Amino acid sequence: MTAIAATPSATPQMRPRPLRFGRDTALLTWRSLRSIPRVPERLLDVTIQPIMFILLFLYVFGSAIHVPGISYKDYMFPGIIGQSLAFGVIGAGVATSNDMTEGVIDRFRSLPISRLSIISAQVTSQFCEQLLGMFIVVGLGLALGWDPHLTPAHTVELIGLMVLAIFAFTWCGVLLGMLVRSPDAMQGVGFIVIFPLAFLAGTFVPIAGMAAIPRAIAQWDPISVLVASVRYLTEGVKTGGSWPLDHPELAMALWSLVLMAICVPLALRRFNRTLAA
Amino acid sequence: MSSTRTTAIQTQGLTKRFGDFVAVDSLDLEVEVGTVVSLLGPNGAGKTTTVRMLATLLRPDGGRASVAGHDVVQEAARVRELISLTGQFAALDKHLTARENLVLMARLRGRGHREARRIADQLIERFDVEPFRDRLVKQLSGGERRRVDLAAGLIDRPHVLVLDEPTTGLDPRSRQVVWATVRELVLDGVTLLLTTQYLEEADALADRVVLIDHGREVASGTPAQLKAQVGQQRVDVIAADGAAFDQMLALLDGRFDVKPLREQRMISVAAPEETADLARVAEAVEVSGISVDEIALRRPTLDDAFLALTGHPAQRAEEPEREREEAVV
Repeated sequence: MTAIAATPSATPQMRPRPLRFGRDTALLTWRSLRSIPRVPERLLDVTIQPIMFILLFLYVFGSAIHVPGISYKDYMFPGIIGQSLAFGVIGAGVATSNDMTEGVIDRFRSLPISRLSIISAQVTSQFCEQLLGMFIVVGLGLALGWDPHLTPAHTVELIGLMVLAIFAFTWCGVLLGMLVRSPDAMQGVGFIVIFPLAFLAGTFVPIAGMAAIPRAIAQWDPISVLVASVRYLTEGVKTGGSWPLDHPELAMALWSLVLMAICVPLALRRFNRTLAA
Repeated sequence: MSSTRTTAIQTQGLTKRFGDFVAVDSLDLEVEVGTVVSLLGPNGAGKTTTVRMLATLLRPDGGRASVAGHDVVQEAARVRELISLTGQFAALDKHLTARENLVLMARLRGRGHREARRIADQLIERFDVEPFRDRLVKQLSGGERRRVDLAAGLIDRPHVLVLDEPTTGLDPRSRQVVWATVRELVLDGVTLLLTTQYLEEADALADRVVLIDHGREVASGTPAQLKAQVGQQRVDVIAADGAAFDQMLALLDGRFDVKPLREQRMISVAAPEETADLARVAEAVEVSGISVDEIALRRPTLDDAFLALTGHPAQRAEEPEREREEAVV
């Protein structure tokens, strides 16, 4: 009996905490990204969906929309980027909701790993997916003749802004995914909250022509601000009409920080309450 | 100090509520090192909730629980190094292969890449995972998954292994495979807490059985003690009509230990030798030519155990499959 108790369970000696956190996050991120080639439909929301919208607006609705001083193609692609980012929130939420109800999460939670790495890996892998989706959208845009007039300085600024925004939006998606009861509920939230925000935003038509209430929303909507900053950096076009739209890049950076200031603590709190307890 | 050395699991007044529903109600449990204890009870008895608290997946609302002397709340991180839980629902990544899952679990337990692969391959051999090691978990059958799941729980030799209904939902053949695996582990001296709904399973695997219902202990003892209280296996003979019943009783009484139940036209014969007794009874009936509706060997079930030990049948409440706090949407 005592011999059995004395047999040490051969757990390797523990690494320092920050190292363990980094290592566990990397391992769990790998396990999440590993499934992409096996479940390619996971990428539908960041691939097929924007493609459908590009085709729809470029070749169907676009012919009826005239924006003075700019070709509709150049006007639309910043909008597509904003809309993909918004829909990415739904994708991240659905993926999180799916993942967090899997039995394997219980296994991870019962292992001697850093529990925070479960959520950090979720955010990291979703962030990677959103980045990949953005590459696809931009690549497709360039292939279809979108011609962003970027200076090197603007390119750096645009990339920095996009990475910041994608990171903030990913946290929103992960938070929503942990709050909802099921992936289906996340689809519902996406349709009720995210979908309107993606369109009340000067994504595909100028804000100036909207009725008063949608226009007021569109003047402050973060998606709107994002689209305005991409449009300003690529085409030099300023939308204007409200403080955020007059200063789109600064407003976008601020929006990202505000979203993170709200979502990160809430997501961590939610995680601690439900899964880390 | 001495208690931590010989006690693998100890709970005192352990309690968990979900709203008004008391899932585990002041449960006292003790599992000694090197023994196999089975928590036996119907659905909703609180078995899963209990083991989830032990594995630090749920926080108790009252009482205390410790694994090898370490409190599951205060020293949760330490407990996670000592305990390994294999749940009722396969805890594997379904989009990874069996082998990838095992390598991942070993790496999460702190092993380097090469070491993790070596451990995974050892487990693959030991648990007969070889034929489907490179198939995605979602493509595996229930029995195959359970084998991978068991293997994943044994990356490190755990101080305590907890198996939550390891054979629920498995076909009889897969159940035999799981039993054989568990027996091997037990021979190795693993301390095991096993939950089950099957009296037969507790009997086959456990040194000690704790019968629980509504989150409370109803009875406990060795399988032999419990079975002695529940009653042994019997051969039930049902006569075709009242006259046949009387003839049958005259035939069997004296030769066997019989219990006649006239209203059901049934004679229940004690069958300590199981199938051998079944054959003897069947032969006697056959030779006599008395007409019967049915002859069957009956093993005592969980329901019989409840009836015998508590005086009421097991009540099946629905246990929430996965207890999570209220979601807001």
